[in-house]
Amino acid sequence: MLYLVGLGLSDETDITIKGLDIVKRASRVYLEAYTSILLVDKEILEKYYGREVIIADREMVESASDDILHDAQNIDVAFLVVGDPFGATTHTDLILRARSLSIPTTSIPNASILSAIGATGLQLYNFGQTVSMVFFTETWKPASFYDRVRENRNIGLHTLILLDIKVKEQSLENMSRGRKVYEPPRYMTVGQCCVQMLEVEGMKGEGGEGLGGVYGEESLAVGAARVGGRTEKFVSGTLKQLCESDEVLGGPLHSLVLLGRRTHELEHDYVREFAVDTEVWDRIWKRDYEGQT
Amino acid sequence: MVNFTIEEVRALMDKPTNVRNMSVIAHVDHGKSTLTDSLLSKAGIISAAKAGDARATDTRADEQERGITIKSTAISLYGHLEDEEDLKDIAGQKTDGPDFLINLIDSPGHVDFSSEVTAALRVTDGALVVVDTIEGVCVQTETVLRQALGERIKPVVIINKVDRALLELQVSKEDLYQSFSRTIESVNVVISTYFDKTLGDVQVYPYKGTVAFGSGLHGWAFTVRQFAQRYAKKFGVDRNKMMERLWGDNYFNPHTKKWTNKGVHEGKQLERAFNQFILDPIFRIFNAVMNFKKDEIPTLLEKLNIKLSADDREKEGKQLLKIVMRTFLPAADALLEMLILHLPSPVTAQKYRAETLYEGPPDDEACIGIRDCDPKAPLMLYVSKMVPTSDKGRFYAFGRVFAGTVRSGLKVRIQGPNYTPGKKEDLFIKAIQRTVLMMGGKVDPIDDVPAGNILGLVGIDQFLLKSGTLTTSDTAHNLKVMKFSVSPVVQRSVEVKNAQDLPKLVEGLKRLSKSDPCVLTMINESGEHVVAGAGELHLEICLKDLEEDHAGVPLRISDPVVAYRETVTSKSSMTALSKSPNKHNRLYMIAEPLDEEVSKEIEAGRIGPRDDFKARARTLADDHGWDVTDARKIWCFGPDTNGANLLVDQTKAVQYLNEIKDSVVSGFQWASREGPVAEEPMRSCRFNIMDVTLHADAIHRGGGQLIPTARRVLYAAALLAEPGLLEPVFLVEIQVPENAMGGVYGVLTRRRGHVFNEEQRPGTPLFTIKAYLPVMESFGFNADLRSHTSGQAFPQSVFDHWQILPGGSPIDGTSKVGVVVQAMRKRKGIKEVVPSYENYYDKL
Repeated sequence: MLYLVGLGLSDETDITIKGLDIVKRASRVYLEAYTSILLVDKEILEKYYGREVIIADREMVESASDDILHDAQNIDVAFLVVGDPFGATTHTDLILRARSLSIPTTSIPNASILSAIGATGLQLYNFGQTVSMVFFTETWKPASFYDRVRENRNIGLHTLILLDIKVKEQSLENMSRGRKVYEPPRYMTVGQCCVQMLEVEGMKGEGGEGLGGVYGEESLAVGAARVGGRTEKFVSGTLKQLCESDEVLGGPLHSLVLLGRRTHELEHDYVREFAVDTEVWDRIWKRDYEGQT
Repeated sequence: MVNFTIEEVRALMDKPTNVRNMSVIAHVDHGKSTLTDSLLSKAGIISAAKAGDARATDTRADEQERGITIKSTAISLYGHLEDEEDLKDIAGQKTDGPDFLINLIDSPGHVDFSSEVTAALRVTDGALVVVDTIEGVCVQTETVLRQALGERIKPVVIINKVDRALLELQVSKEDLYQSFSRTIESVNVVISTYFDKTLGDVQVYPYKGTVAFGSGLHGWAFTVRQFAQRYAKKFGVDRNKMMERLWGDNYFNPHTKKWTNKGVHEGKQLERAFNQFILDPIFRIFNAVMNFKKDEIPTLLEKLNIKLSADDREKEGKQLLKIVMRTFLPAADALLEMLILHLPSPVTAQKYRAETLYEGPPDDEACIGIRDCDPKAPLMLYVSKMVPTSDKGRFYAFGRVFAGTVRSGLKVRIQGPNYTPGKKEDLFIKAIQRTVLMMGGKVDPIDDVPAGNILGLVGIDQFLLKSGTLTTSDTAHNLKVMKFSVSPVVQRSVEVKNAQDLPKLVEGLKRLSKSDPCVLTMINESGEHVVAGAGELHLEICLKDLEEDHAGVPLRISDPVVAYRETVTSKSSMTALSKSPNKHNRLYMIAEPLDEEVSKEIEAGRIGPRDDFKARARTLADDHGWDVTDARKIWCFGPDTNGANLLVDQTKAVQYLNEIKDSVVSGFQWASREGPVAEEPMRSCRFNIMDVTLHADAIHRGGGQLIPTARRVLYAAALLAEPGLLEPVFLVEIQVPENAMGGVYGVLTRRRGHVFNEEQRPGTPLFTIKAYLPVMESFGFNADLRSHTSGQAFPQSVFDHWQILPGGSPIDGTSKVGVVVQAMRKRKGIKEVVPSYENYYDKL
């Protein structure tokens, strides 16, 4: 049996009892370590679980899945995923491969940023499509998220923006030389995300054709850091203000919510508490959001 | 003693109308360096006695030893027109006083070093084309002429080694005239083939003064113009009219004392004016001196107004001949006059060269500066090659100022060949340490150099690989990258004899690569260092430099091997599909052969990535039968973004396709640089992207997902399209006397050679054989040929084209080609068997 076990968001104790049971008795335990990371080290996990855990990086999951699935018809293999096993679309492929090898699968759900973001006080009912933001390069600035945000904004919904992490990536040069040398890990911050969002808004606006104007420097948003952990932190403000919010938010992982115009009074009261500058917040709230349908 | 000072040179630089930048180009051994000597001796750089033997521009010891030029060498000369009248003959351009600065570049004639010629041509506006009287127009004459015309460089011609025709072949006057006339005609055929509307008609004619005749070895030469000047007074006719009479079918009838264009008078043959007035005195001198007719000589000398010193009068035979001819018709005078009168000044030349030199728009400040040769415009300087300094490992950047003024300490933008305006890639901003004047093997410091001149720069070498653009304008585009007519198709691998010398080898390879415009150095996956050159000789010289100079450590050098190209010979048998590692993205592609014509256009730089895409689509549609929609959707060229492989987008309505374009292009560059068969570069393949499915979210389709996928799908598509191996083929031109032709044919046949042309050179027993010879079979060809023709055959090989290596499929390990491939893979340290397409193909 292949078990996909959700680990929750923060530390070793977030695992469910059902999940822990499986981890303790499985023949092999893999920890997927590239779509998201836990806020604690592998050693702490191993100590808590009382057993050895194998780190599965991108290469192993994508290119050497046979090793993971080896003999899973007869023995139990646990595949630990930070958050919920299906939080990211990434692991459907592993299940498909297991199916084709006639390996039965079970998944143990857990909390995910998709649900935990409710801690901002924004109602999960009011969220539209989730998008992610990648690290831009000189030549690669994918802006397709912008159209998703537009669709959400058109009907007044919030947008949850997941931020890129690069745990173990090769540079282009190393990749084409086939050298297994990896870049140091990088995690995108709320500040960087806001800068990139405004950059895309600028590009779309410049292009004319009425493509821009989906959001702007004064659009309200909430930045979230280490959601579900002991040091969880929220900061709200305009996109412009959030560009400078990294220090307040602290270390990774970060997420961002762009508010929809249909924000409820209660949501507002809750989020206002996190504001960088309540005066600015109130002014913009009154002008652009209050009473909008 | 040098008869001019740096100050004088510097003063002339400010008068660009009186500057002539010129290269001396020719087939190997037609006498470029020897002729150049006579100009140097006139300038006092070498003594008159040594001229003709010194080959002062062959500054390297091995150049002197081998008697060939390897590197192009620049030298600045001071020229003076004695006669005010002459100045009036400078047609079509302004002149400012009788003093001229001539920046001369002597270039190698051996085909293996053509890239040196390309680098020389770029910085000059005119060319002195040297042609051997006996051998006539040869393969390299044609190649360099073609290159010159492509760069919009105006040619003048000197027919050299006339002494040989007189002494060895003992031809008659009329035969010599006919031979001259034929040679000039062949030159003009080449010129008119590459006619360029902007440059206008640049064919050469003796009666216009654009052809000279002479002997570099003996130091004499003349133009028809010079003789016309002598006779104009005597006959009381206008000089220009006289010039026309002294060439072609013009006769002076002594009976009627009239000029006529009919060669017969009352049934008797008249003597052609050229023969009667120009050749006759020369023939008489030769006859009198060489037949030791001592009594005739003084009369003759007096008649021709030739004064000799007492010492010289004592000489006899060839020594006397040399001194008489040199006094009668000094080569430097004829050449200087021809160069100054007929070659364009930078002011004239840059007007029509600006648009072909510059990559940017014709109306920006940089281009206008170039067009006007304006010393006050922003600096535009092209570095065409690197010249080693006496300080080991450092180089002078050699180039030409096209606009602005360059001086020591000036802060400039150093833009490499891959620089694109607005980006930071391949760009450095540094100060120039020093500016110098290149004087053959020596340099002289100079404070600043204005537009239109050639110079050397110190302190730039670390920032440029081989060539590039220097500018002070933030918005300037690059000056066009040079296209070489030769490719590095012969390779040898090198390793150090003592392991601890490895770092020196690595450093030496870097220096070698800098010092030669064409050589390639690379490192294989197996850690093997490879040096690639245009031919065996080129490679030999490069490796010698590497061992003795650049690296300075003992080396072990492998036998030469050929650089192959991978290609496809049909359309992929099915659409290739590869999925990204996360399986969420799929690429579908088909490979097919690219027309050979298109590939050649790309390699010649006539179709390229920097063209306007609409104009390029038009060309492809009109001239090569492409579908216009396809032609407009060429994503890129590869390898190195300009190679002869294309990636074409044929998808319909795929959302966010542009967000993965970058990654797919990177994958394409990678795959086309190292093909699936043997990790050799691909050539002449067209890849069509048929369809793409993508994950909705950008995070799941980054470079890490798509670059390897693009490479895999390209490999699968290529392997499904009957891959083939292309081998390089030389065009060999062999000059051989009739009696030794059998030997030539024998050697060629044994080496898969294919003769396609055989011609006798009129008036000589020499035959010219042209054949195609696979580079693989060319190793040791020259020695083999020598031994089978008792050393009478002289071959010249130049890379001509690629052809499919016959003998089966490269992916079939049992075929002949398969064996070659496996040997290559083994050498590179990769798995010997070519992986099948299934390794790269994902099932749906």
